[in-house]
Amino acid sequence: MRDADALENNPEITRSALEAIHGQVFGWALSRCNYDRAAAEDLMQQAYVELLSGNALFRKKSTLKTFVFSVVQNLARSRYRRLATRLRLVREHATSTDDSFLPTEPDRNSEVWLAVKLLPHRQRDVIELVFCRELTIEEAASVMGVTTGTGRAHYDRAKKALRKTLKSLADDTK
Amino acid sequence: MNNEDGNTGNWEKQLGASLKRSLESQDDAPPFDEVIAAAERRHGDSKRPYAGIAGAAVVAAVVAAVAVAVMLMIEARAPTPDSMPKMLQVAELMDSTNWSAPSDVLLPTHEFDIYQELPVLLESTKPAEGALL
Repeated sequence: MRDADALENNPEITRSALEAIHGQVFGWALSRCNYDRAAAEDLMQQAYVELLSGNALFRKKSTLKTFVFSVVQNLARSRYRRLATRLRLVREHATSTDDSFLPTEPDRNSEVWLAVKLLPHRQRDVIELVFCRELTIEEAASVMGVTTGTGRAHYDRAKKALRKTLKSLADDTK
Repeated sequence: MNNEDGNTGNWEKQLGASLKRSLESQDDAPPFDEVIAAAERRHGDSKRPYAGIAGAAVVAAVVAAVAVAVMLMIEARAPTPDSMPKMLQVAELMDSTNWSAPSDVLLPTHEFDIYQELPVLLESTKPAEGALL
């Protein structure tokens, strides 16, 4: 029997389930848009359009969160690459003092975040997905579109690099 | 070894907690209802081009149906084979020594005089290599 709360073209997804992960999806969209809030809202909205239309059909092969994160990741890769370039150009050429164009990054004073920012983007993604979005390494690899082995390798390298960077930052402050 | 594993586990927990803290301020997402409503509107808009095509198809189908109906009506008003004057019947002809034209319908309505009615052909008076053009 069909759930009344289910999406019309995506019967395995319910609105309540989507609402439960909404905040995390937005966080992931923000990260994909270089912390540009407007672009992230647009990206998330487009991801929901894909779910509503059934273009991205959930077949319960993974968790809903992994699936929606993958949709956001794929959209960000394809459609928003151009938008990101355009936004970067706007920022570079903006002459006004209006800071609405500026991305609102996570706590810039956080040492951990500074260390994460120094990582190559794949390593940064896997760290964010595992530590902040609470996915397993397998799920993170699935979202990133790499094999589990590759995901694990990125994860191990990222951890080593983070340990090293954080240690050197701590030594500097002593 | 276990101690090292324990340290690594603690370090990872601390790392996760710090990262979450640094991201917390960012994750104040816009209300779900607003986002899903906007997505539904956008989804509706994206369906409209197809609705236009479907509408055009319906109009074309109606026009075609009307055309077919008109043709059928014209066909229905046309004389049926029974109502038309009979043509030559081979059997009747073979049984009889008399024959008359079955109907004047087959006769031409206008007899024309080829000498009077043929158009006068224009002739050229310019010779070319010994012949008139």
